[in-house]
Amino acid sequence: MIEFRDFTFHYGADPMPALKRINLRIEAGEFVLVSGPSGGGKSSLCRCMNGLIPHFYGGKVSGGVFVDGLDVLRHSPKELAARVGMVFQDPENQLVTLSVEQEIAFGMENLGMPVERIRKRLEEALDTVGIAHLRHRPLAELSGGEKQKVAVAAVLALHPAVLILDEPTSELDPKGAEEVLSIVQRLNDELGLTVVLVEHRMERVAHLMDRVILMDQGEIVADGIPGEILGGDVPERIGVGIPPVTDLARRLIAKGATCGKIPLTVKEGRALVLSYLKNGCRPAPPQSPPSGAVGAPVIETAKLWFVYPSGTTALRDVSITFAEGEFVTIMGRNGSGKSTLVKHFNGLLKPTRGSVRIRGRDTSKATAAELARTVGFVFQNPNDHLFADTVEEEIALVLKNLAFPREAIHRKVEEMLETFRLTEYRRRYPRYLSGGQRQRVALASVLACEPKVLVLDEPTRGMDYGLKRDLLNHLEAYRRRGNTVILVTHDVETAARHADRVVLMSEGRIVADGPRREVLSRALLFSPQINRLVRAFERHGFPQDILTPGELMEALP
Amino acid sequence: MSLRYRALDSPVHRLSPFCKMAWVGSITLISLFFQHPLYLGVFFLATIPAVLAARIWRQWAVIMLFGIFVGANLVFINAVLIHHGSTVLVETTYEIPTLGTPRITLEAIFYGLMMTLRILIVISAFAIFNFTIHPDDQLRAFIQLKLPYKSVLVTSMGTRFAPLLFEDLLRLGDAQRARGQELDRGNLFHRTRKRAALIVPLLANALDRTVQTAEAMESRAFGQGTNRTFLKRLPVTRFDWLTITLAVSPLLWGILTAFVLHYGGFRYYETLDPLGPRNGTEIALLAALPLLSGTLVLLGALKRRWDLD
Repeated sequence: MIEFRDFTFHYGADPMPALKRINLRIEAGEFVLVSGPSGGGKSSLCRCMNGLIPHFYGGKVSGGVFVDGLDVLRHSPKELAARVGMVFQDPENQLVTLSVEQEIAFGMENLGMPVERIRKRLEEALDTVGIAHLRHRPLAELSGGEKQKVAVAAVLALHPAVLILDEPTSELDPKGAEEVLSIVQRLNDELGLTVVLVEHRMERVAHLMDRVILMDQGEIVADGIPGEILGGDVPERIGVGIPPVTDLARRLIAKGATCGKIPLTVKEGRALVLSYLKNGCRPAPPQSPPSGAVGAPVIETAKLWFVYPSGTTALRDVSITFAEGEFVTIMGRNGSGKSTLVKHFNGLLKPTRGSVRIRGRDTSKATAAELARTVGFVFQNPNDHLFADTVEEEIALVLKNLAFPREAIHRKVEEMLETFRLTEYRRRYPRYLSGGQRQRVALASVLACEPKVLVLDEPTRGMDYGLKRDLLNHLEAYRRRGNTVILVTHDVETAARHADRVVLMSEGRIVADGPRREVLSRALLFSPQINRLVRAFERHGFPQDILTPGELMEALP
Repeated sequence: MSLRYRALDSPVHRLSPFCKMAWVGSITLISLFFQHPLYLGVFFLATIPAVLAARIWRQWAVIMLFGIFVGANLVFINAVLIHHGSTVLVETTYEIPTLGTPRITLEAIFYGLMMTLRILIVISAFAIFNFTIHPDDQLRAFIQLKLPYKSVLVTSMGTRFAPLLFEDLLRLGDAQRARGQELDRGNLFHRTRKRAALIVPLLANALDRTVQTAEAMESRAFGQGTNRTFLKRLPVTRFDWLTITLAVSPLLWGILTAFVLHYGGFRYYETLDPLGPRNGTEIALLAALPLLSGTLVLLGALKRRWDLD
């Protein structure tokens, strides 16, 4: 169905190829996962399959790409549209019209299909994706997940032979992501559609795949069945995350366990642990929970209510305290009030009722700029932090705003450049840097003034494993200096590994607040893979608050 | 208060988009034909029955406030810059560079007020258009009127992306505040200068969005061939033709009154003409216009929605 023959591609005059001598064959009906670190060539590879490369982007090309018998170099994306459908990362930016029906019809209208056929395919697409109930809704009123389903339906209506999805779930919450992925799986299973999916979150998708391709620096560095590839050493080498159960299997194998097939799901992981236990091993006694020693309170909210001007009540009677030296994650569905709550911590929002105190100071009597010295705030998209012409000016900006003396600014900028490995980019325009470098600039630009509290609003969404690991290492180092980290995230595995305490929100209220073991164990949705795995072994005496592969390995003899 | 279209079952919503386009076009054009304050006042009043019948007066009032704000500036600028007129209200002896000797006249203020009224007529008519026609129907109507599809689509996409850009702007402002920038303090000059720093990242974000949207459109065969089809077309029934004719009638009325009967002229300078109607014919002509608009609303009340669905 898809064939790359010795294909190399350079963007514009870039001397480094974005894709290097790619030889690849994808058969009809395959479900292929493409993963790898940011800038590794995944998106470029996908864009070759529907002709955006080279027709839309331009550049230097050698070799060939063939899709369903068509030479991509000779056929434009418009000509390939009916054979190759592509769904992009951001649901907002790929929708063109104002309503669901119109959006699904858009491609068919462009191809000049008769109206009767458009009507028929519109109905089919609505039903296949399960969004018939949304058909008359304006797109502006839909959630991210619903918009992404509309994007899938709009592509599907063209009856493509190949469906390419470039990080389709990175902007979605776990529920939205799961719904979109289950639709894609069904399309592959039932309609035999060839699917190429780019994704970082392996635990979400690895078990759905027939094949995994890993890319790094424009090259394919691994290609094979998921268990073999993810169980090998390439993922660790190039910075690709693997599902926690797969990580566990690797550790057990290293400890001498035999394993026929590397597990990718909780069920397969359970079977492996069971076979390990049958070999005569017994679990160690339950661990004692870690001590919850924390410092003085830094943020206190009391009976906090917030109502947006539209009338939506986003926070209801929230009373919570955060202490010095804590690493807290705030979790919950989209719209549960997480972002609204944390925007109160640096005065971006003021309470409608109740109070917020930062180290005793009432935020309703201070501006966000005045609180910036105490509370640093990192937005999801690092681009939102980039205003200056160079990296060093970007870092200096907050210090100048807060009227630091010139000497101190110079010293702090040098320190931040070194800490975040940005010295060689100090005079570069920040927006020209890679995703990881921009994230580091954003973090440095906030931490330069040494705030006591750092709030991060979903910073890991859409981030690859290596970047996430880097970020969390910086946060750990920051916390070790006695500061407080408050991380808003949907990523339960990150919370399980790093948080001391987890706060769970729903409909503007706090529904759970406690040590991570307490909140994340025995939960249905907000629990990590390993905790779901150990639940089956309660009768074996396994502690039920184990959250990570490392903890489970410690529990096993 | 949302200023977006809301689907309602009102007499005005039921009218064909073509009818409302014809009516808005007619009212806008005739407001340009006439100078007479009485005529302009009647045109403004002629838009009110549609606003009330469409149950959009809250949104309409918000838009009107914006119009009044623009108008107040216009009146001020006109009064300061135009020194014509015989009824001097304020006069000084000193000279301001480029503006000359301040001399504010009743005629200049009155002229500014009438320009404001003209702006309010146009805004009121377009508010009815935007709040009573579904954006998709607006798009379809323009396409069926043979306007270039690509231009119409770009306009429609502008409508879609404007709120997103506004959200981007708010977020960028928050990011600056969170880094110690006092965007809301200082005099107007300082605040404007600080906010100007948001423009570059805003444009950079907008460009990113544009590239991504262009990719998505290209991937769905946008611009492939010339034989584009359209899933839905707006039907035009006999009833619609009747209402369209009625909607165009203010324009015909205007042409007849202004260019054939030569009514509706008005001199502002040096002295204001008398405001009252000249004779019974002029009174009858003036009364006819609200009647035409009222009849249109009445016809809308009789129309059922099935032909739009």
